[in-house]
Amino acid sequence: MNDIVNSLRRTPYQTFAALSVLFFTLLLSGLLFISLAFLQGLLNYVETRPRVIVYFQVKAEDEQIQAVQKNIRNTNKTSEIKYVSKEEAFEIYKEFTENDPLLLEMTSAEILPASLEIDATKPEYLPELAEMLKNQPGVDEVQFQKDIIDNLLKLTSKVRKTTAIFFSYLMFMSIIVLTTTLSFKIALKREEIGILKLLGATNMYIRKPFIGESIFLGALATAFANIILIGTLISMNTFLQGYFAGIPNLTISLAGMPLQVWPFNLTFAIATLTVTSIFSLCITLISSFSATNRYL
Amino acid sequence: MISFQNVTVRYPLGNIALDSISFDIEDGEFVYLVGPSGAGKTSILRLLLNDIHLSEGSITVDNFEITTQKFKKATELRQKIGIVFQDFKILPESNIYENIALSMLVKGFDKSRIAKEIDDALRLTDIEDKKYLFPAQLSAGELQRVAIARAVVGDRSIILADEPTGNLDPKMTWEVMKIFKQLEKKKTIIFATHNTDIVNSMKRRVIVIKKGKLIKDKKKGGYEL
Repeated sequence: MNDIVNSLRRTPYQTFAALSVLFFTLLLSGLLFISLAFLQGLLNYVETRPRVIVYFQVKAEDEQIQAVQKNIRNTNKTSEIKYVSKEEAFEIYKEFTENDPLLLEMTSAEILPASLEIDATKPEYLPELAEMLKNQPGVDEVQFQKDIIDNLLKLTSKVRKTTAIFFSYLMFMSIIVLTTTLSFKIALKREEIGILKLLGATNMYIRKPFIGESIFLGALATAFANIILIGTLISMNTFLQGYFAGIPNLTISLAGMPLQVWPFNLTFAIATLTVTSIFSLCITLISSFSATNRYL
Repeated sequence: MISFQNVTVRYPLGNIALDSISFDIEDGEFVYLVGPSGAGKTSILRLLLNDIHLSEGSITVDNFEITTQKFKKATELRQKIGIVFQDFKILPESNIYENIALSMLVKGFDKSRIAKEIDDALRLTDIEDKKYLFPAQLSAGELQRVAIARAVVGDRSIILADEPTGNLDPKMTWEVMKIFKQLEKKKTIIFATHNTDIVNSMKRRVIVIKKGKLIKDKKKGGYEL
């Protein structure tokens, strides 16, 4: 460890350049991983709750609503039907507009529609139920999650592609900078390497200090990046609580294991640390091997 | 045992460094390799280290056989050989102990064995009091002793010395030669030099190389070209 620290101190500018590039790469990689995890978690959440919401016309009679509720229940494709009256809708609206009294003043329970929140037993029943509801008397609008899922899928796919391009670019840049820095150091030790080779040192023996040095830099950059990432998530906790209100948790599957993304927890922090550490290890190993290869 | 059989080294531009050279060296033998500058002495030493490749023939070093084919056991071969250069090749940023330890660290010896062998080697070369000094604090003669100490530690049975007295004054030269005398019989020593006095005083086997050819191979010879 002392040898590594001494070697880094002897070349402070190269060390700073390599550390900065690694830090920004890992910070951005971590941010992209967290964004993807939240998006995927949201998609999973929506997909596991097959729901149709039907809004009735303001003038729709209670009898009409009850008839629709009965017809839908008779299909035996629903698990739960929740009636939200105009008054309940107004209460929900009041909660949403509590910081904007002007909006609340302009609205009353009378102008808000009653609605039914219908949970299907299977997601594939949703289009059929939606089609049936559209043709019922008194129905104004039918919303079902296909649109939401489609939009989320499109967004997730775009984010994945962008992430892949960013990951590749960042990795490439980091490898180039780290390889150049290490090559400079190796060039300074060319004579020492020559002596070691004549003494019978294996290539791995010669590589070891350079690999150790780059892994040390990678570990340092990973630690800094994760402190920033976790700090940001903790500071955004209140905002996210409001944003994900009503969603008890978001879960994704990582390497075949379920991982809870939201509410923010220690396991997710460890997963982020693991992902950035693996990324850092890949960069540092590729760089140190390609830099030393030139001289062995 | 070291055996050269019809060894030729031809450089890419066609000039010949060694021309069909053959000789055998027994274990524990002390052999002078003499000849004018550019005769091919260093090429023979570099061949033994697999630092250059031969164009024809074959070399046997104990159970290693080097041919014109790619030799894959260079690391293992080099671990049997200690080297002493004219320009010492001592690492300036490491102290004397660390420089000598390198020779054993590359072979994976444990710390206690390294410490013991280094102490013995420092005693042999009479630089025990310089153990923790840095190369810049030592004279040329002392640096060459460090190089010899590095060559003898770590179970290295062969010592290749390439003009080891070339940078030393006469007094230091004889002090270094005394160390080599002590190593006789324990190690196989190939000593490349063009110092007439040294060769004539010790009366050991002399192999004379001139223009890449083996001219003479005398059991108890002197320096004659």
